[in-house]
Formats: sequence, structure tokens, C-alpha cells
Amino acid sequence: MRYGILLMGAPYSSQAAHSALRFARAVAGRGHRLEAVFFYHEGVHNAARLAAPPQDEPHLVDGWAALSADHGVPLQVCIAAALRRGLLDEREAARHGKQGHSVEPPFELTGLGQLVDLGLRCDRLVTFGP
Amino acid sequence: MLLHILNRSPATSEVYRQALAAMGPDDRLLLIEDGVQGALKGLVGRFGDVRGRLLALEEDLAARGLEPLCDDSVVRVDVEGFVTLTEEARKTVSWF
Repeated sequence: MRYGILLMGAPYSSQAAHSALRFARAVAGRGHRLEAVFFYHEGVHNAARLAAPPQDEPHLVDGWAALSADHGVPLQVCIAAALRRGLLDEREAARHGKQGHSVEPPFELTGLGQLVDLGLRCDRLVTFGP
Repeated sequence: MLLHILNRSPATSEVYRQALAAMGPDDRLLLIEDGVQGALKGLVGRFGDVRGRLLALEEDLAARGLEPLCDDSVVRVDVEGFVTLTEEARKTVSWF
């Protein structure tokens, strides 16, 4: 089956990100195709390149990157939700005259249309809210 | 059959009422995160008609040390079982 995940919770604020990552690993582990994880609302903070949690705690940003590397899962971040929260990739940082950037691959800034497309393409879209 | 997913405790949020109102006769309700508090003997009564179709995520019960307090009528599933439930359901609806 083709799965999609919609994550709307920020890391360390609620359990949503942990739940979503655990579910994503289980989905991929069962041989399903995880078409994408879409980060929306506060969920965009999962893409924060500079996140540096204590070493004895789960590193969610790295966890998502590892999921993407292991299973080829696109990590799509809503660009409108991201920009207003200070989450910019190199291109957007340059465009807005900002020094430094806070989002890097495998996370990609995309439009909300990608979420609509994900919902249409997938057999199952599972939402994890805050 | 739809799978409804609830992550709020019925002791602190009323959203479970909306979930119950939206459920069809064959739908299932999976309690996750703080929602697993609804599986406790003292709170499970809030889900009256759903007995037998009420499930709780094992990992979230264990993380809170609530396994011994879980009511026998609640079906426990681990995250693999969670995936299976989504396979069996036509769609999922998350309540938060």
C-alpha cells in the first residue's frame, strides 16, 4: 500500500513527532511504500537543521533524515508555515536577505498542493496532531 | 470501517465526544499518547457503546506505566498492530 503521513506537532512540545516517526518506521518495515511525510503547522520545526537536543535523547530531526535515507521517503515541509517560523533553506534565505539557513536536504520546502497531491496518491493518509 | 485515532485523555479534553459522535457502527477507536488514559478502568465507561471496538496503543500504555490499570475490555495493540489497523480501515480520522 501507499502511505502518507501528515505531521502537525512540533518536536518536544507534544508526542506527535515521536508517534509519527515510530509509525513511519513501522509502515516502512512492513514493506509499504511511504510516499512522503508532510510537515505542516508547528510540525515544520521537525526540519530545524540546527536542532541540538541532549545526546541521550532521541534526535527527531536526524531520525527523519535517517528514515528518508533508509527508505527513500521525501520529507516535504509546508513553505508558508516554515517561512513565518524562521525555517528557510538556502534559496529562501538568499531571497529574503537572511544570513544562514535553517532547513537543508533531505527536507524540502514545498507548497500545500503537495499535501493535496499526497492525499490523492496514497491509499492511506495518517495525521498526527499536537 | 474507519479507524479513529484519539490522542487526548477523556479526563482533560472533550474531543472524545466528537469522535464518538462521528463513529459509525463498525468503526474502531484507537487510543494513543495521552489518549490511552481512556483505557483505564475508571475512564473506560466514557466510551460506552464502543466496547469491543476500543483499542489502546501498548507502547504508550507502557511509557506511562498504565498497563496494570488497563481495563480488560480494551484491545491492546503495538505499533505493528496500529499499522495493521490502518491497512484494514478504509480511511483514518485523527482527533486531537
